[in-house]
Amino acid sequence: MKKFIFLTTISMIISAAFSACTPSAVAVSAEISVVDGFEKQITLDQPAAKIVTLSPPITEMLYAIDAGDQVIARDSFSDYPEAALSLPDIGGGFAEYDLETIISLEPDLVIAGGINTVELVQSLEDLGLTVYYLANPFDLEGTFASIEALGILSGHEDQAKELVDGLRSRVDAVSTILENVEDKPTVYYELDATDVAKPYTPGPNTFYTSLIEIAGGENIGEKLEFEWAQISLEQLLIEDPDLILLGDAMWGVTPESVAERAGWGSLTAVANGIVLPFDDNLIARIGPRQVDGLEALAKIFHPDLFK
Amino acid sequence: MRKLTRPTLLSFATLAIAVLLSVGVGSVAIPPKETLEVLWNTLQGTVPTLDINHTYQIILLTLRLPRTILMIMTGAALAGSGCAYQGLFQNPLADPYLIGAASGAGLGAIISLTLGWPASPFSYLAVPMTAFISALLTVFLVFQLAKVKKTLPVTNLILAGVAVSSFVTALTSFLLINASGELRRAVVWLLGGSTMAGWKPVLGQLPYVLVGLIGLSAYAYKLNVLQFGDEQALQLGINVNRARTRIVVFATLSTAAAVAFTGVIGFVGLIIPHILRRVTGGDMRRLLPFSMIGGAIFLVLADVVARVIVAPQELPVGIITSLCGAPFFLFILRRSKEKDW
Repeated sequence: MKKFIFLTTISMIISAAFSACTPSAVAVSAEISVVDGFEKQITLDQPAAKIVTLSPPITEMLYAIDAGDQVIARDSFSDYPEAALSLPDIGGGFAEYDLETIISLEPDLVIAGGINTVELVQSLEDLGLTVYYLANPFDLEGTFASIEALGILSGHEDQAKELVDGLRSRVDAVSTILENVEDKPTVYYELDATDVAKPYTPGPNTFYTSLIEIAGGENIGEKLEFEWAQISLEQLLIEDPDLILLGDAMWGVTPESVAERAGWGSLTAVANGIVLPFDDNLIARIGPRQVDGLEALAKIFHPDLFK
Repeated sequence: MRKLTRPTLLSFATLAIAVLLSVGVGSVAIPPKETLEVLWNTLQGTVPTLDINHTYQIILLTLRLPRTILMIMTGAALAGSGCAYQGLFQNPLADPYLIGAASGAGLGAIISLTLGWPASPFSYLAVPMTAFISALLTVFLVFQLAKVKKTLPVTNLILAGVAVSSFVTALTSFLLINASGELRRAVVWLLGGSTMAGWKPVLGQLPYVLVGLIGLSAYAYKLNVLQFGDEQALQLGINVNRARTRIVVFATLSTAAAVAFTGVIGFVGLIIPHILRRVTGGDMRRLLPFSMIGGAIFLVLADVVARVIVAPQELPVGIITSLCGAPFFLFILRRSKEKDW
């Protein structure tokens, strides 16, 4: 009984404290009310005019829907489009974000992405900021939904819709051309081959697998267990993919360096010279450029169908 | 008894300077006058200070001040526990992580980071909670393995601690290798760079660190006696096993709480007691409290360096403690007149 009284008292104190914090009748009817990736209700009186983005895809998508002018700061890795580079850099990457600078810029909305931690989101909210968490999508429909969500938050709904419609018709165009194609080349996509005996490749439930599939190919990593998996060279030799895409080309890996790797010479793709560098940002970065990536993949897989 | 008035004053003055530095330095430049004014008003309980930029107050009172206090507590907890362990195990290599607190916490943290908890507004508590619990469980396991009937031989504790630690570390590595995605976060945690903003981590850590450090201080005299060997201690009326158990419990409580909220910060618990032993001598009644203050100063300063050295990014503070700590420690050792380290 004592415990019960104690608990009731505590809960009364807590609820009193909370109600003291929230302004009683809110007169302003919130114009924007959305639910974010943490199932959390976000309300804004008006479209966000001062946005801080915490991950490159968000920056990219905001610029793509003409909301670039509303972005006031970006994380260290947001390097696309070029205009974003002139914005203040608020950190991120191997260490922490610079919360002090974020606060001092007085943003009315911070948009966090899938790479951001719950601790970070919580910290920012504790500082009194409004944070929208954009969960990582796993397919193009998810990307389109993300673009539309950012459109609502930034007040560029129309541009977002227009952009998505355009992207969707480009995806449909690719699918239509490939409708009756039976011959699907098998693909090994390399993410990192620091250890050439078991390089990293994207597995199931990744954009890589789904984009390769829409583009009329087959990702050999799909059979692996993890999303980001190490495939052994032995497995690779058994699968013997029709072509190799080097997503790690930006780190200096070249078709020549692949051919020099011990044991790789016996792969059909290496012997035939079908080892191609590929711009990883066209797949890894969620946003409109993924459709560019899709078209590029389709062109590689079916050069005769896509001119 | 050496006179300790001057060292005491000196250490508190240094701590005060370190705190001011830590609160005063950051990526946003706040005029020192306003910083002091906000701090002074906070001490008097008049918050908020009306005539000063609201943003400055948030930065000072919800970012820098709690972080500084977190570093003070963590430094004190690590150096205090390390000092107690060096005495308890009579081993100069002992640090607070010797019998599994860090490796256990690491395993817990990595489990919760790699399991992919459903992302919710509350899952920010998952890492510190699992780290804390897993650290306690690991030390408890070591404890049970080391026990022989009702006695607790020190050698058994160390050996069981090292063995269990390696095993647990191997499990952690296995999880890391198989982790999909969030590797960066896990690595940062293991390097001692996981800090949450605001007062929540401070409040979460406070009770355990307080209980642990007060408990250790209360056992300072017994730690002195234990160094003469079990038999001597028994003759002096000390229940050796009980004292040993409680010292381990107190040290583990404070270490686990420290690790849970800041990640694994190395080297503080090892070097600070060694450096201060040269000032205060080996009497635990003096060495323990001085180690706690020294650990606090060292970690607060290391954190300042971690924040400014690659601004606007931040380095994990564990890298700084080892990077600055190791050469400084060697310097002290070389300069000391004792031939024997």
